[in-house]
Amino acid sequence: MDNRLIGLILVFAPLSLVSFGGGQAIVADIQHQTVDVHSWLSNQEFADLFAIARAAPGPSTMIVALLGWHVAGFWGALVATIAIFLPSSLVMYFGASWWQRNEGTSWRLAIERGLTPVAVGLLFAGAVAVMRAMHIDYIGIAIAAACAGLIYFTKLNAYLLIVGVAALYAALYFLHVVPLSI
Amino acid sequence: MDSTEKPRVPLSSVLLIFMRIGITAVGGGTAAWTHRELVEKHRWITDETFTTGMTFSQVLPGANPVNLALYMGLQLRGGIGGTVAVLGFVTPSFCAIILLGLAYNWLSVYPLTSIILGGIAALGVGATLSVGIKLSRHLRAKAVPILIALATFGAIGVMQWPMIPVVAVAVPVSVAYAFWLERKRRHG
Repeated sequence: MDNRLIGLILVFAPLSLVSFGGGQAIVADIQHQTVDVHSWLSNQEFADLFAIARAAPGPSTMIVALLGWHVAGFWGALVATIAIFLPSSLVMYFGASWWQRNEGTSWRLAIERGLTPVAVGLLFAGAVAVMRAMHIDYIGIAIAAACAGLIYFTKLNAYLLIVGVAALYAALYFLHVVPLSI
Repeated sequence: MDSTEKPRVPLSSVLLIFMRIGITAVGGGTAAWTHRELVEKHRWITDETFTTGMTFSQVLPGANPVNLALYMGLQLRGGIGGTVAVLGFVTPSFCAIILLGLAYNWLSVYPLTSIILGGIAALGVGATLSVGIKLSRHLRAKAVPILIALATFGAIGVMQWPMIPVVAVAVPVSVAYAFWLERKRRHG
């Protein structure tokens, strides 16, 4: 196999296994490895790719597809994506399978009940983290609250909501309600 | 396999649903859209299974939405279901990010791009809040679970403490309480 592809695997597969808590945890390490250690790209190029990753659907770790593309074209993108998702998925697979084998046991039931409050706390904390990262303003908070209400009370289609919010923001921009500096 | 208890979901449905979730996974509302499809719409997954999968996918290494897709796929159709769910979820994101990468030089000229992305992120926040409220109903106005949920939120969301140690404390406390409650119920 191409040396560049092996390099991509050697960088991303270990990071996959230590990405506890999700992709945000390893973005700094990805930058360090690809920019400082391997000199595959410059800091500015990395910042551009990071902006694209945030715009694209899917997890933030998807940035490795762009890095892989940058290093070795399509196959680089594919190999990097597999390297970042496969190792962690194997851990999740074995964990979840063991969990499933113990279905119906009383201790499992207690653990499931016990996990609910923690999951609820994590969900709200995640929403706040996104608001903080996006420097969300009052308009953003109002729209988030309105969307929460719409999703809670109606069965409105996700695409319709996405297109609706995009159109609303475009309208606010042209009416000069939304500031240019985001 | 006990086919009488759990409905056997066709693999093609698993693939299609996760591709759909993959396309809507902009702005971080993935958990909400997954909950909507699997729990609310199709009723293939219970709220308890969903919250367990969510906590697992957040605590174990890996991107949370990918782990969540894998867990749900495993629940629906075992190993093959998990594989199909992950492939279904990741493929649209992979294609989209490559296309965006190619179009970036052209798109980044327009300030409108980042404005619209800000709006979509707000929608993602709203979707997450909505599923948080839905799952909160399972706390059933009991003081201890509500306190644990608030403490978890406060530590990570407000204090910005690292997630892993907070979860490592909150989960044992919460599970021990659930055990104690169950024993009390059984022994009068």
